[in-house]
Amino acid sequence: MSSVIISGDTSGSITLAAPAVAGTNTITLPAATGTAMVSGNMPAFSAYKSTDQTGISNNTWTKITFDTETFDTNSNFASSRFTPTVAGYYQIQGQTAFVGTVMTNQGIGIYKNGSEYNSVYLRSSASDLAVQVVNLVYMNGTTDYVEIYGRIVGSSGLYFAGGSGNSFFSGSMVRSA
Amino acid sequence: MTLYEKTIALYPSLTNKDFDTVITLQNDSDGKGDYIAKWEHPTLAKPTAEQLA
Repeated sequence: MSSVIISGDTSGSITLAAPAVAGTNTITLPAATGTAMVSGNMPAFSAYKSTDQTGISNNTWTKITFDTETFDTNSNFASSRFTPTVAGYYQIQGQTAFVGTVMTNQGIGIYKNGSEYNSVYLRSSASDLAVQVVNLVYMNGTTDYVEIYGRIVGSSGLYFAGGSGNSFFSGSMVRSA
Repeated sequence: MTLYEKTIALYPSLTNKDFDTVITLQNDSDGKGDYIAKWEHPTLAKPTAEQLA
């Protein structure tokens, strides 16, 4: 059995360079075959809601819209929906600030392909409350997509607050399929 | 009147727990409005379009 030994030296860095030839440069590791994922081909995005989303119906799961992109490395985010074109496992997080009069319940959820994937529920009487949901989601790289939905139970004036610190939606690939 | 208000008017016995578990009202922010995405109540029938009109 052969082995590769990488030893550091006093220069403080080790460089592993792809061959300077045309074509596909892949690295095959023992006991696993595939294309090595590097930061350049692992999609990541971040977006936020710039203005308040008003007119929220009581006790109704409503898609939260995020109109401003901070970054979208693979152009996979559009219409408040993330549809990655690389199959794998993604850490997804969403947050919104719920505002309303006499609120009693709040919920925020990651929706995958239009259905609830997982949600966080609170029963708070606060009139202004930020809640976040985070989970790891497998995405097939073709048709799978995720969105963020929110629900408020309150008497009136219900909305999701805008602002990059109040409502954001982000995600990044953490492992290939 | 919202879909939630119409549903509660039709079935006043419904609780928030029902909407946490067996009933989901949803709005996809696509301009099409609220709709019933899930109705799995063990005893109450899903409202018809006529009842919600």
